[in-house]
Order: sequence, then C-alpha cells, then structure tokens
Amino acid sequence: MSNVLRPYLAAVRSTLTAALTLQDFSSQIVERHNKPEVEVGASKEVLLNPLIISRNENERVLIEASVNSIRLSIKIKQADEIERILCHKFTRFMMQRAESFIVLRRKPVKGYDISFLITNNHTDTMLKHKIVDFIIQFMEEVDKEISEMKLSLNARARVVAESYLLAFAA
Amino acid sequence: MSAPEVFNLGQTPITSHAFNADRSRVAVSLNSNDVTIFDRQRNDWTPTETLSEHDKLITSIDWAPNSNRIVTSAQDRNAYVWQQTPDPQTGHMIWKPTLVLLRINRAATFVKWSPNEDKFAVASGARAIAICSFDPEGDWWVSRLLKKPIRSTILSVDWHPNNVLLAAGGADMKARVFSAYIKDVDKRPVPTVWGEKLPFNTLCGDYTSPSGGWVHSVGFSPSGDVLAFAAHDSSITVVYPGSQAIYHIRMTTLPLVTLTWTSEEAIVAAGHDCQPFVFSGNEGGWQLIGTLDDANANKASGRSGFGGPASPVGRLQSSAFNTFRNADSRGSSNSNATESELFTVHQNTITNIRPYDGVPGAVSRISSSGVDGKLVVWDVSAVSPISVGGLAGKVGGMSLR
Amino acid sequence: MDVSFRKIDIDQYEEDVLLDNELYEADPRDPTQVLNDTKQKGAAVHSSLSKGDIQGALELVLSDAPYGPNVEEAKNLNLQTLVTILNSTKATEIPGVVKSLSQDSQDTLMKYLYKGMGLPGWGDVSGSVLLGWHEKLTEVAGTGCIVRAMTDRRVV
Repeated sequence: MSNVLRPYLAAVRSTLTAALTLQDFSSQIVERHNKPEVEVGASKEVLLNPLIISRNENERVLIEASVNSIRLSIKIKQADEIERILCHKFTRFMMQRAESFIVLRRKPVKGYDISFLITNNHTDTMLKHKIVDFIIQFMEEVDKEISEMKLSLNARARVVAESYLLAFAA
Repeated sequence: MSAPEVFNLGQTPITSHAFNADRSRVAVSLNSNDVTIFDRQRNDWTPTETLSEHDKLITSIDWAPNSNRIVTSAQDRNAYVWQQTPDPQTGHMIWKPTLVLLRINRAATFVKWSPNEDKFAVASGARAIAICSFDPEGDWWVSRLLKKPIRSTILSVDWHPNNVLLAAGGADMKARVFSAYIKDVDKRPVPTVWGEKLPFNTLCGDYTSPSGGWVHSVGFSPSGDVLAFAAHDSSITVVYPGSQAIYHIRMTTLPLVTLTWTSEEAIVAAGHDCQPFVFSGNEGGWQLIGTLDDANANKASGRSGFGGPASPVGRLQSSAFNTFRNADSRGSSNSNATESELFTVHQNTITNIRPYDGVPGAVSRISSSGVDGKLVVWDVSAVSPISVGGLAGKVGGMSLR
Repeated sequence: MDVSFRKIDIDQYEEDVLLDNELYEADPRDPTQVLNDTKQKGAAVHSSLSKGDIQGALELVLSDAPYGPNVEEAKNLNLQTLVTILNSTKATEIPGVVKSLSQDSQDTLMKYLYKGMGLPGWGDVSGSVLLGWHEKLTEVAGTGCIVRAMTDRRVV
C-alpha cells in the first residue's frame, strides 16, 4: 500500500501547483469588496472545475479552485472507531487555532475532515512552492501522527489496566 | 546578448509598472493605494515622489511617453490622469491629478493610453470598458462605456495602432475586438482587416481558446493586423482575421498572464512560471522557441543579481513564514536557503511585461515586474531554447524534487 | 408585521447572470446519437484490446468524448471503456503510450483520470492504477495539462 503513497502525493503536488495560479480579483457583485471567490461561489465563470484525487475510497483530496483562491479539503484514513475519534480531536485542535496556521479553514467542507483556504494574499507574501511543500508534508505527517497516538493510547490503556487489575491479583 | 538587469524595488508585490519616455523614471504601485515614482541613479532606482489620491488598491498604471501624463486606475472605481505642473509655492514640478468621470460601479482593473494619447481605455469589473477623452470645458475626462456583449470582468485591453480599435480580454473567457471611435476626437479610420465603417461599440471579432480559461492578456501586433491573447488554459492564441487563421499554442507549463509583441513575428509572454517565454511565427504557424531566463547561467553566476543582493534568507524571516515554520515543526527541517529559491530570476509570478528599448515593431529589450517585488530588464535576443520535455521536466523536477 | 420578504433570494431573479452552459460550445450531436457513437466505440475498443493494440484503443476512446449535461449514460459508458483499457496496460508500457497521444487526447485523458478518481470504487476503478497513469501523464504533458482539466468546462 505504501508504494501508492508516492504517486498519490505526487498527484496532489502537481494538481496543487496547477491550482495555485492566483491573482487579485475584486468582487463583481459588491463594489469595493475583494472576497475569496471560491467561498462566495456566486459568479460561475470565475470558478474552475473541482478536482478529486483519491487513493482509495477512504482517502481523498478535493481541490476547488477559482481566480483568487483555492479550497483544499482532505479526508484522512480512519480505519476503526479509535482512529475516528483521534482524527476528530486532532483536526478540531488545529481548526480552533486556525489563525496561527494562516491557511487553515475553521470548518471543514462537508464530507471531509480538514480544509485549507489559500488566497492570492497568501501567495503574494509566501512562496508558492513552499505552500505546496507544507500541504504535502502535512498530509504525510497526519497519518503518522494518528497512528502514533493510537499506539500510545493503546500502550497507556494496557499499563493502566495492568496496574489496576494487579491490585486484584495480589 | 546581455544578461538581465535585476532591480529589487521592495519586498511587496509590484502590481503594475510604467516607464517614462526616456526610461529615466518609472511609476510603480507596490500593492498599495499610492503610486511611487522611482528615479534612476546609475544602477539603482530611488523613490522620489508619491502620488496619493486613490482609496483602494491601484490595479494599473500607464505613462504616455509623448505628453508625459500618467493615468492610474484602482479598485475604488476611479481613475486619475496626472500631469506635471509647476507648484505655485515652490516652483518645483509636481504631479497634479485631474478627475476622470468613469461612471462605473465596480473596480477598474486595467488602463491603457491610446497610441495618439488623446484617449485611454479603462477595463472594469462592471462588465464595461470606459473610453475616456478630454473635455476642455470642464477640465476633466469624460467617458463612453462599451457594454454589449461583455458578460464579466474585463482583465486586459490593448489599442490598435489606428487609435480606434480596442482588443479586450475578460473573465467570460472571450477575447473581443471593439471599435472605440469617438466622434470629436478621432478622424474616420482607414479600413483594416477588422472591418470598415465602425461606429462606437461595434464588435469586430470574438475569439476564445478551445479549453476555455479567462483571457488574461491581449495584444495587437505592431501592424495591427494580428491579435494574440493569453488564456488561463496555459495557451497562447494568435488570430489572423484576414486569412481566418487561428493558431493555438498549448504549453506544458503554468498559465501566462501578460504578453507583448516584440516584432511582427515574435511575442514575449510570462506568467505563473516566473520566466518570460518567447514565441515566434508568422501566418503559417506559431511555436514556442525558448525562454529569456537561462537557468544554467543563473545557477552559475550566483544569486545576487545586479541591483543589490536579493537576500532569500531575509525573506524567510517574515513573521508569517515563521508561524508557518512553527506549525510545520512536525516535519523534517527543510531550511536550506538554496532549496527554497527558484532557479529563475523572478521568484514569483511575473505580472507585467512592457517594451523597454526599441521602436514598436523592433523591440530590443523588455521590462518585467512581478509579485516578488523585482523589476527586470531583459534582452529579447538572449533566448535559451527549451525542449518541450525539458520544460516539463524542469518544472516537475522543481516540484517533485 | 410580515418580514418574510427579507428571506427572498433576489439573486435568482437576476436575468443577466452568466450561466454555466454559456461558457463553452455545446456538443453539436444529439444525445441518442452520442450514446450510439459511444457504444460503437466501446465495441471497436474491445476488439483492439484483444489484438493488444493499446495505443489505438486509447486514441479511439479519447476522440470525440461525450460531454455536457444530457449525455450521462454515454459518459459513464465511455469512462468504463477507458478504465478497462487503463487496467489492462502494463506499467512499463504506460510512458510510451502516453507520449504518443496527441495533445487533445492527453488533455481528455487527464479529465477522465480526475473523473475516475472522483468515483473510487465505481465499477473497475482502481486508485493505484489511476495514480500511476496520472504520474506518467504529468511527466509528459506537464502541469499545463492539469490546468486545462480545471479550466475546460466541457466536463466529461
């Protein structure tokens, strides 16, 4: 399964590079306003086709692009109940601190676990290829983190149960 | 065959730049509400004046070479024409703005003087183009709006050499040619391949790229008989209305957002790939011949450039990036300064290309400005060929590492 | 006081709004003809595949691909045919096949790859096969091909 990870991340990287072609665009609907068009969704001509990159049914990345912003949503692999809870808590932790992440969105898009919103202001101040690197690294790390957390959770539970039941054995 | 001259004007993106006639001064908008005029001091540019009148981000600047007037447009739905007049108190020449009655109700996105400098066109998000001419009675510029059949924001305009026809490209994925004939300002134009007897707001041509995509930039050739436009589907289209020939050149790289004709048979265009590409061809066909940015030369000669060191590490110290890095602390340390730099001269999208040296029809040097705050002057003949596979490999190599 | 007028969405009544279907050229063939064409192509492709001609099969299925709103069945059929071809190509042959496709076919193939990845588990769609093809196609056609898959409104 791990040999599918590399082309999966490569596909996400190349699609993201293609989508991060953003420029400033002031709103056509409200005067003197400048809003991320992918969030407003009102002018159909400035939105691009959304693309999905998926490894299997449980892991997907949705990229919705527009003229001045893109929204990237990730569905993380959650095999069992424990992973589902851990993933939910982990993403909630990050989304509550979305301001310090700059590109993170406070609520995930429906059907996904975590969403990023990157606008032309971000690509003006930050290097585009570094933003792409960050997202790819995030995707690689999040799976590892959740597995690690699950292992440590199980280990701790085992230690606690042992020390508790030891009391009965003696 | 000289190397490009690189000038670092600041850490903020350059939204738009325009040189004066003898290239001794440049008017630049550094992603703000003001225009800064830089004067050339030998090899550097120093800011001398600031023109502030706009309330919102300035989107476009154009400097008329003969009449020495600057026109600026901004997202606050206004445009101003600036003229140098002697200041009554000090006697120095200062820039004084003249009001323009644009009558648009959305942001202005692009502005261009006509070849005779008696009119200018302002593209806007109000689905209209305002053609402005001077009204001496009121001492202001009045406009007539080109509306039908525009359906969305216009992103770019370009004038035909006969001062009457105007090409416009917009977010409704079409490049159109209009007649912008103003009765009291223009004389009846000579018939061209685009048509004859053209009252105001006649549509002379309507073109689109096959895979769609917003038209970022349009340009008439020096003779005016050919139209080229760059669209968001990473392609350039060249249209010959006389022989009904249309050539689409599809690229393997990211979309181009600005283009200019250097001669009747060559175009230089640049965009999200951070390097200028050169296309050449004629009525029989067009193709991509190379780039003005020689990656090998850049790597060899070091990254300092000509106009002062562009310190990449300095850029990485911005607070936004630090927060990013802290959030990223789970990952392996990727802080190699050389790895974070691109192999091209520009580090971010190139947004504007203008002819710098030479006459229209035989441009020898072009200037480009981009989101990285750099202004670079390129020699048009210094073309490095790229094979199609090589380019994809280079871009792929940068990203896949 | 009746304030329900505040809940009316006035944007839906605006007449001059740019609709999705005005942004591209509609398919000139009518829906039943498109369906017949697709079925015929499916048969031709199967015969090419049995002869081992991956190249020809791919060119056939990618030319005149059905797009637009009314031809759902034809689109699904075409996708199924394409997926069969992709699954039956050996990994070593992929670069050669991709390089010999025309630019139009490469763009259409990219569109189908994304459509397939959007339906994981549908029919014979296999994520790893599609990702392998995506990687090789990007190497040859570059990110420009991906940009065209995003901007082209003729959604297959």
